[in-house]
Amino acid sequence: MCMSRTRALSPHARSVLAALLDARGQWSHGYELAQLAEVKSGTLYPLLIRLEAQGHLEAEWQQPVEGGRPPRHAYRLTASGVQLARANPPGQTAKQIVLGGEATA
Amino acid sequence: MRRSVAYLTCRALQATLPRSLKPWARAVRNETASIEDDTEALLFALGSLAGLMPSAVASHLGRPFASGTGEDAVLSGGSTISALFQTIGHRPRAFGIACAIGAVALGLTYMTIAGAPRRYLGINFGASLIGLMALTLLGNTIAGSRRWAGGAIFAMAGALLGTALLGDSAEGAMRWVNLGGMAIQPSLILLPLMLVGYARLRNAVTTAAIVAAAATMALQPDRAMAGMLAACLTVLVIIRPDRQVLTALTASIIGFAATLARADTLPAAPYVDQVLYSAFDVHPAAGVAALGGSMLLLVPAIVGWLRDPDHRPAYAVFGVAWCAAFVAASLGNYPTPIVGYGGSAVIGYFLSLLALPKLARAPAALTAPDTRVLDTLPRNRHLLVGLA
Repeated sequence: MCMSRTRALSPHARSVLAALLDARGQWSHGYELAQLAEVKSGTLYPLLIRLEAQGHLEAEWQQPVEGGRPPRHAYRLTASGVQLARANPPGQTAKQIVLGGEATA
Repeated sequence: MRRSVAYLTCRALQATLPRSLKPWARAVRNETASIEDDTEALLFALGSLAGLMPSAVASHLGRPFASGTGEDAVLSGGSTISALFQTIGHRPRAFGIACAIGAVALGLTYMTIAGAPRRYLGINFGASLIGLMALTLLGNTIAGSRRWAGGAIFAMAGALLGTALLGDSAEGAMRWVNLGGMAIQPSLILLPLMLVGYARLRNAVTTAAIVAAAATMALQPDRAMAGMLAACLTVLVIIRPDRQVLTALTASIIGFAATLARADTLPAAPYVDQVLYSAFDVHPAAGVAALGGSMLLLVPAIVGWLRDPDHRPAYAVFGVAWCAAFVAASLGNYPTPIVGYGGSAVIGYFLSLLALPKLARAPAALTAPDTRVLDTLPRNRHLLVGLA
């Protein structure tokens, strides 16, 4: 018998999702995301890797506007990522999830 | 300088991540390059390295067992612990890295509970990153090349001798060099690596290097490291005696005796010396962390001895070297490796892993179910922390 289990997202994951959601489909970069979500780069990248592996995030290489700069990796939410972000706004606690309550912002 | 360290950090990240995650290492590198402020760029790079390293280690350890689920199964919820336990017997060096990271974490725990200055924690953490980077970069370039090993051991003996002659002194001991305001103890960094290397490569050149190291420890003088030398060579004589190691042992005993004859008046430094002795007085949790971290450092030697009979001298010397360091720290005012404050021992432990085999050939009875795994290992050139 197989049982599936879903984990509550961490506050950091919610912040990153919210920052990506706020971008409204525009591409975001790692440093900018870390600042907007107020997370360390060491927290951000494992999250981005996981979100991309789960199909919630798409990434692409963008050529620089200025010459002499390397291309940058940019990110935006997929449709499922948008759903995930809306279902997990920042501030919703694990207790609220357990109780089945929605975040009230 | 800060930009260079940031660049080096990104290079280390690229070297350590498995192939499927390489684009992310490139993403971090390019993003770091786009940050105007040097300090911000350095912090961004260091943070990324610290954040991605545990996942990368897990991915590396779990990869041979992840067929069918992709090499990054660990990242998507695979059984890291299960893979780790199955893999430890086959990858002594990777297992040693995991133990080192755990011991550093326990050391930081001890220091936090004991109220050590935050700078001390930062230095030990930074040293672990430096050690890991050095291990990765050296392992990917020169390690495993036996023709370089003899020369490298000899060069390390020269560096130790240079410290004894030109280094910084305190209370009559000359064991340190000053690098950018930081006091480094080269013998703690180099001697364990030399000894484990000597266990694997014994010839006239390496024997001469060990004899020179014994003379250097007497010159400094350093009872702890001289005792480490004598203890390791005694073990080598017991396991695999020959004229060369007997010569080296004789020199090390004379050197150790010389250090005993000279007074060692260095006072104990807080969070450095007598850590194991005092940690339980600070708090039981601090004691458990210090003791647990110390024990963890010996585990790679024990597991290697049991699982890899071909390289038993190397595992024995590795274990005895670090055990001797702990005994010395318990008996006198000598640094407590890894769990106490001091970056030299942290870097030294990571570097000494360089002399352990990357891949182990376990006894047939133990490996029979996993021969498929061993067959695939040498081709996995891009594996995380792919050393040597």
